[in-house]
Amino acid sequence: MEALYYIIFLPIVTGILLLILPERLKPIKAGITLVVALMVLYMSIGMYGQHPEIISLPLVPEAGLHSSWMAKTLAGMSQFMSFNLDHLGQLIILFAAGFAAIISVYSLIYVTPQKKIFHFYPFFLITLGCAMGAALADNLLLFLFFWGVMGFTLYKLIKGKDPRSSAAAKKTLIIVGASDGIMILGVAIIWKLTGTWSMSQLSLATASSLEVTAFITLLVGSFTKAGAFPFHSWIPDYGENAPPPSSAYLPASLDKLLGIYFLARICIDLFRVNPTLTLILLIIAVTTIIIAVMMALIQHNFKRLLSFHAVSQVGYMVLGIALATPLGVAAGLFHMVNHALYKSGLFLSAGSIQEKTGQVDLDQLGGLSSKMPVTFFSALIFALAISGIPPLNGFASKWMIYQGIIDFGQTGGIASQLWIVWLALAVLGSALTLASFIKFISGIFLGRRKSAFDNLKEVNFLMWFPKLLLALTCIGFGVFATSWVVPHLFQPYTGTIEYIGIWESSTVSLLVVFSLILGGVFYLLGNVKNMRTADAFLGGEAIQEKAGYRVTEFYNTVRELRPLKGLYDKAEKSWFDIYYLFKNLFYGLHYVFKVLHTGVMTTYVIWIFAGFIIIMLWLL
Amino acid sequence: MTHLVPLYVILPLATAFLIPVIGRMVKGFQKTLFSAVLLFLTVLTFYILFSGVDQPVAYKIGGWEPVAGVPIAIYLVMDGLSALVLLIISLIGFLAGFYAISYIKRYTAENNFYALLALMIAGMNGVVLTGDMFNLYVFLEIAVIASYALVAFGIERTELEASFKYQVLGGVASLLILLGVAMLYWKTQTLNMAHISQVLAQSENNAFLTFTQILLISGFGLKAAMIPFHAWLPDAHSSAPAPISAMLSGVLIKAVGVYALLRLFFNMFAIDFQISLVITAIGTLSMVIGVLLAIGQWDLKRLLAYHSISQMGYVVIGVGMGMILLVEGGDRSVASLAIAGGLFHLINHAVFKGLLFLNAGAIEHVTGTRNLKMMGGLFKTLPVTSTTSLGASLSISGIPPFNGFFSKLIIIVAAIQGEFYLLAALAVVVSIITLASFMKFQRYAFFDQPKFSKKIREVPFTMRFSMIVLVILCLGLSLLIFPGVREIILSPAVDVLMETTNYATTTLTGM
Repeated sequence: MEALYYIIFLPIVTGILLLILPERLKPIKAGITLVVALMVLYMSIGMYGQHPEIISLPLVPEAGLHSSWMAKTLAGMSQFMSFNLDHLGQLIILFAAGFAAIISVYSLIYVTPQKKIFHFYPFFLITLGCAMGAALADNLLLFLFFWGVMGFTLYKLIKGKDPRSSAAAKKTLIIVGASDGIMILGVAIIWKLTGTWSMSQLSLATASSLEVTAFITLLVGSFTKAGAFPFHSWIPDYGENAPPPSSAYLPASLDKLLGIYFLARICIDLFRVNPTLTLILLIIAVTTIIIAVMMALIQHNFKRLLSFHAVSQVGYMVLGIALATPLGVAAGLFHMVNHALYKSGLFLSAGSIQEKTGQVDLDQLGGLSSKMPVTFFSALIFALAISGIPPLNGFASKWMIYQGIIDFGQTGGIASQLWIVWLALAVLGSALTLASFIKFISGIFLGRRKSAFDNLKEVNFLMWFPKLLLALTCIGFGVFATSWVVPHLFQPYTGTIEYIGIWESSTVSLLVVFSLILGGVFYLLGNVKNMRTADAFLGGEAIQEKAGYRVTEFYNTVRELRPLKGLYDKAEKSWFDIYYLFKNLFYGLHYVFKVLHTGVMTTYVIWIFAGFIIIMLWLL
Repeated sequence: MTHLVPLYVILPLATAFLIPVIGRMVKGFQKTLFSAVLLFLTVLTFYILFSGVDQPVAYKIGGWEPVAGVPIAIYLVMDGLSALVLLIISLIGFLAGFYAISYIKRYTAENNFYALLALMIAGMNGVVLTGDMFNLYVFLEIAVIASYALVAFGIERTELEASFKYQVLGGVASLLILLGVAMLYWKTQTLNMAHISQVLAQSENNAFLTFTQILLISGFGLKAAMIPFHAWLPDAHSSAPAPISAMLSGVLIKAVGVYALLRLFFNMFAIDFQISLVITAIGTLSMVIGVLLAIGQWDLKRLLAYHSISQMGYVVIGVGMGMILLVEGGDRSVASLAIAGGLFHLINHAVFKGLLFLNAGAIEHVTGTRNLKMMGGLFKTLPVTSTTSLGASLSISGIPPFNGFFSKLIIIVAAIQGEFYLLAALAVVVSIITLASFMKFQRYAFFDQPKFSKKIREVPFTMRFSMIVLVILCLGLSLLIFPGVREIILSPAVDVLMETTNYATTTLTGM
C-alpha cells in the first residue's frame, strides 16, 4: 500500500519543509499546499471502495541494516504503524481530503502580502496528514499521537495578535489538550483489560467500572474534538477569533469529521454500549442541540453565531450515533458530512463578508445581497440546508435521524421509551436553527444597505468558487440522498438500512421544485405589474436609517424573556463554561497554598522537621 | 574504559582551578576552556553509552585493592544510571555554559561565574560517580556550596535573600544527610556503598536502620525539592542567573537529589515496601501541590521553578511505583515500564526545563522583566525564543510530538497496569493544569500586543544556539520510547534499578 505512505506522510513532510521556507515565498507555499491537497484527494478517491483490510506499514525495508541502532529504532516505530483501511476510515479520509482541497483553494487569496497568516500553510498540511493518520490508524497509541498533534496545529492556526484571540488560542489548546490527556487514561485501561493496542481487535462490553471509565474517557476526547456539550466552549471563542479559513478547516470540518468518526468507532466497534450509557449519550445530545442553539439566537457577531451552530449540530450527530442502529449511525455520519459541507461554506462566506466589509457584527451590516450575489446565493443555500429545509442535504440527514429515533422507540429500555422526548427536542432545535439563520441571512444580506457599502464588489473567483462548489454539493447531496449518497457512502459501513415510511429524496425534491414553479407562476399571474412602490415612511416622515428596525432587535425579545434572562446573564458571565469552572477551582486551591508560603524561613524549617517527624511516625 | 572515569571529576575541577588563575591574563580563556571541557565530557559520555555499560565499572582511587574482600579505596562507579545522569549534566552544562557566553556579559565577574559553574559540575559528577557514602557527602557539599554562591551571583537584595534561605535550608539537609552517613558508618563500619549493602543484607531490618533511611529520605528529598521539603527552591531557582537556573532546575535537583535517592534506596538498602510507599507518597504530593503552587504565579521564573517540583513528582512516582511493584513481587515488566517512564521523564525534564529557563533568561535579557503581565507581543521580536519556548511548553505539558508526551504516556500506562488508578488520574489532572499554566505563559509573554515601547532585538547567537539545540532535543528524545536508541541510553539505567543487588556484587567483585 504505497498510497498510504503518501496520503499520511506527504502532507506532514511537505508541511515541515514549508516551515523552513522563508515568509516571502508565500505564493509558492500556497501553490504547493494546493497541489499536495489535491494529490491527497486524488489518492483518497483511489482508496475509496477498496476491500477493508488491516495494513502494517514497515518504515524500513526488510533487507535494511538490522544491526545499527538507527534501523532498530525505525523497526521499533514500525510495530506501531498499523492502519485500518475500513469503510468508515475510507469515508472520513475522502471527505477530509475534499475539504482540505476546497479550503486550500479559498486560502490562496491569503497570498497577498498584506494578509499575514503566519505559518498557515505548513500547519494546514501537517493537520491534513495527521487527520488522515488519525482516521486510518489502527494502533491506539498511533491514533493518540496523530490526534494530539491536531490539537497543537489547531492552536497554531489562530493568530493571537490581540487580547481576545490570544485568550481564545489559550483556551482552545487547554481544553483540547486536556481531553487528549484524559484519553490516555482510556487507552491505558484498554491495554490493561485486553493487552492489545489494536482497535480492530477490540469489542468490550461496558459492564465493569473499568470498561465504563475507559469508554467515558474516550468519549470525552471525541466530544471535545467534535464540540459537544459540555466540552464545546472552545468552539465559539475559536470561531470568533480565528481567520475564517482556519475555522472552516478545523472546527467546522476536520475536527467534526474526526470527532464523530471516533465517536462512531467507540460506540459501534470498540465498545458495546450499555443502556444507561445510551441514555446519557442521548441526554447529552439533546442538551447540546438546545443549549447551543439558544446561545446562537442571541449572538450579534456572526462568526460567533456560526460557531454556536457548529456545536448545536453536533448534537444531531451524537443523537444519530447513540441510537446504534444502522439507520441511526448512517444518519449521524450523513449529518456529519452535511454539516461539514454547509458549515465550512458558512465560515467561508463569513470570511468573504469580513474581507469585504471589515465587519463581523450583524448590526453593522445589511442589504449586501445585490452587491455580493454569489456569496448571497451560496450563503442562502447553506442557511436553508442547516435549517433543514427540503430538498437540501440538511433536511435529508435530519429526516433520517427522526426516522431513526422513531425506529429506536420500538426497541425496549428506558432510553427508547423516551423517544418522543428526543424527537420533540430535535425538531425544536431545528426550528430554532431556522430562526437564528433568518437573523443571519437578513442581517447581512437583506434589509437596508448602509451607504458605506455602496461600492462593494463581489469577492474574486478564488473566494466564491469554493463556496459555490460547496453549495452545489449541498443541493446534490440533498436531492440524491436516498438514491445515491446514502447507499454508496454510508451503507458500506453500516449495512443495509431499512427506512420506516416512504422516503424518496429525489421525488420529494421534484415536488419541491414543482411547488416552487407553481408559486412562481401564481406570482407572475398575480397583480405584480400594478404594485405601487413608494419610499417607506414613519409618521409622515421619510424613514431615517437610524429609525429602521434591525433584524437582531427581534431576537432581543428572546434574550429578555423572564426565565431565560437569568440563564443568559449567567451564561454570558461564563458560569456554565467548564473551562472557567475548573480555572476558578484551581486558582482557589492555588491561593490556599500560596497563603501558606509566607516567605518566613523559620516556617520552612518547621515544615522540614514536620515532614521528617510525620514520616517517622508512619514508619517507626 | 575504567581509566576514563575519573576524568569526569578531574577535568571540571581543574577547570575551576585554572580559570581564576589564567583567566585574569588571557581574555576569553574561561569560556573557551569551560565549553571545551564540557563538550569533551558530553562526547565522552556518548562514547561510553554507545560502547555499552551493561556492567558497572569501578575505578579505585589510588589503586588500592580490597583487603580480604573489604574495599579500602574510594570507588568511582560507572554504570547505566550514572552514565545517564552524567549525560544530562554534561549536555545541559555545556549548553548552559555556551548560552552564558553572551548572557553573562552584563555581570562583571565572568571568571568567578565559570569557575563556580565548573566547580558545581565537578561536584555533581562526583556525586553521580562515587561509590562511597562520605565521599558522596563531600561532593554534594561541593556542588551545593558552589550553587549557593551562584544563586547570589547578582548580589542584589532578592538574590542574597534567596541564597541565604537556600543556604540555611540546604544546611539542614546536609546535616540530616551527614547524620545518616554517620549512623550508617556506626552500624556497618564501612563507607563503601556496595560493601554497606552487603553488610546490611546480613543484618536484620530494625528501627535503627529505618531511622537512618528516614534521615536520608528527608535530606535527599530536600535536595530534590520534594514537598514538604521544597520551600527553598522557588526563591533560589528564580533568583539565579538564567543559565544557573537551568542548571539548578534541570540538573542539580536530579543529580544530588533524585539520583542519590535512587542509588541509595534501590542499590544500597534492600528495597522495602514502607520506604517505597513513602517515596511514592512524597512524589504524589509534590506532583499535585507543586502544580497548584505554580498555576497562579506571575513571575515567570517562579512559575517555572514550582513546575520543577511538580515534574520531579512525576519522576519520583514513576520510580516509586516501580519500587512498590518490585517489592510486592508484581509483574516485573510493569515495574520496568514504570521505572523507564520515570527515568525518561528525568531526561526530558532536564531538557525542557533547562530550555524554559534559558527562554526566561532571554526574555529577561531583552525586556528586563520577569513579570508576565509586563510582557506581551514578543512573538514578532523574539522569533527564536518564542518558537523554542513553545516547543518546551508543549513538551512539559505532554502534547505530542514532543518528548514529554511520551514519558507521561509511559508513566500513566504503567500506573494503570500496576493498578495505581488514583495516581494515573492525578498524573493526568496535573498534566492538564501544567498545560494551562504554560498556555498562560505563552499567551502573556508572546501573544497579544507589546506592552512596552522599548526597542528590542532577538538575543545573540550563543543564546539562540543553545535554545535551538534544546528544542531539537525536545523533539528528538521522543525516539527514546522505541527500541534502538532506548537500548543504548535508557535501558541500561533501568536495568541498574531493576537488578537491585547487582550493583553491590559486581562492584565488589571488580567486574
